[in-house]
Amino acid sequence: MSGRGLTRLAPLVMPAALSLVLAVGLTACGSDDAEPSGGTQTSDTSGSTDTDGDSAAVTVTREGDAFTPNGERVELGVDQTLVLTITADEAGELHVHSTPEQEIAYDAGTSEHEITIDRPGVVEVESHEPDVIVLQLEVR
Amino acid sequence: MAPLRAGDVISAHGLGGAKDLPIPSELAIAGAVAALVISFTVLAVAWRKPRYDAATSGRPAPAWLDRLVSSRALAVAGRVFGMLVFLYVGAAAVFGKDSLINPFFGTFYVLLWVGLVPASLLLGPFFKAISPARTISMLFAKVSGVPEGEGLYAYPARLGYWPAALGLFSFVWLELVYPHSTDLGPARLWAAAYLGIMFIGSALFGTTFLARADPFEVYSSLVAKLSVWGRRDGALVLRSPLANLDTVVPRPGLVAVVGVLFGSTGFDSFRESTAWLKLVQSLSMLRIWPDTLALITFSVGVALVLTVATMATGVSSETPRRALPNLFAHSVVPIIVGYIVAHYLTYFVEYGQQTLIQLSDPFSRGNDYLGTADLQINYWLSAHPTFLAVTKVLAVALGHVVGVVAAHDRAIKLLPPRHQLTGQLPLLVAMVGFTVGGLYLLFAA
Repeated sequence: MSGRGLTRLAPLVMPAALSLVLAVGLTACGSDDAEPSGGTQTSDTSGSTDTDGDSAAVTVTREGDAFTPNGERVELGVDQTLVLTITADEAGELHVHSTPEQEIAYDAGTSEHEITIDRPGVVEVESHEPDVIVLQLEVR
Repeated sequence: MAPLRAGDVISAHGLGGAKDLPIPSELAIAGAVAALVISFTVLAVAWRKPRYDAATSGRPAPAWLDRLVSSRALAVAGRVFGMLVFLYVGAAAVFGKDSLINPFFGTFYVLLWVGLVPASLLLGPFFKAISPARTISMLFAKVSGVPEGEGLYAYPARLGYWPAALGLFSFVWLELVYPHSTDLGPARLWAAAYLGIMFIGSALFGTTFLARADPFEVYSSLVAKLSVWGRRDGALVLRSPLANLDTVVPRPGLVAVVGVLFGSTGFDSFRESTAWLKLVQSLSMLRIWPDTLALITFSVGVALVLTVATMATGVSSETPRRALPNLFAHSVVPIIVGYIVAHYLTYFVEYGQQTLIQLSDPFSRGNDYLGTADLQINYWLSAHPTFLAVTKVLAVALGHVVGVVAAHDRAIKLLPPRHQLTGQLPLLVAMVGFTVGGLYLLFAA
């Protein structure tokens, strides 16, 4: 772009850039370090979520090919322990799509498992056969 | 619970592990407000006479640079590089293990599909220069004695970019909807069909076919219009991205290309939202059907909004109303690129590193052909979500500014004076809608 072009663009770019920087600056300050929250209370399922200081807990139920919860979001802190209580009528596996992946093998009946995620992100907990996303962990 | 090696996972999940956190609501709102302010600032203070003209814009590059860029050596080097990567990864696809550690998947879905955006932004029409489909077609033509670039027939002008739009749609459907996209068979089949169609098409219509119908080449060359590299009367020129963007040649189907590119990225965010997930998992049918429907809705929706918004203006007798959508489609390209950056940055940086590591061992036998097998992936980006969120919003806002300015310049060039201000309002509203919609998906999904 020629020098002349830059000068003519300046009145256009400056206010736009300024407004953006201001807008981002003003709002980003307040939101930056959200507390590493525990699990949130989820609403409409029997898969209940509790939080208790350093760990959060979720109950997962499997009846045949049906899972509860059904893709619920659960907030989790980095390195916070999530205790999964799995009640299933048949044995199976859950895959935790963190990087690297983790795997939870469960038996029929009720069993307890722990997950920790060491990096912020959204991690899906998925059953295979049938392919169902049971939980989405929002780790921050 | 045991950590798994990626290769042990039989997954219908697609590539990559954890996804980005949603951006904070404050940042999403800031971005949306910025988009509005920018839009009306442009409308109020920008120039009133068109500034960009492909016939005069750009500064001639230094002679040595032109000689280098236009040199046969560089052209050959690009083709050799493309063919080497193609054969290497092709070998992994044919002889390698059907597992996520096969580098074919990372090369195909991440390095090629996502990587062609930064490569084209920096280097210009990158994929055209290395395209194996083009190289092999040129070799075919040479062997059979056909004059370079020519085919049996002239490429029908009315087809325009429609074949590329179809090709792009089939790719994003494979990547985002098809549950077995990370099985070797289907991905290989797609690649083989793509190559077959490119060979036949270029035999029939010459290399023009590749420039109009090759989804990767069309995508790459479109994004390259936001680079500084251009040509005028064959000579290399350096242009501002805005002036360069103005040189996009409008052809039939350009709106469809833009619709698929933007719509599919939006759909990729949308399909991971809790609301959609719960809906499709509570239906009794396979997820593939509602997902296909949603992908079509997003792609057609973007194209339709763009069509209606560009046609809702008074016109002069020189430019028919129905020509307007393709004449304005270039202005959505920067919005697409901004949103692609926001959507794929972590994926590209982190899974891209993963792929470089996997590439050293194409047959999953523990080899280290490239010496990259022991590299460690740097997860700095994931570990800094606030930096990431701000970068995303800035990329989206920057894309929006460039898009709005490009549309404004085109409007004052094409529209009759008394419709110039009101005539660009519908498109401006549509662009704000695209940007705010994109930000909303980054926030909510």
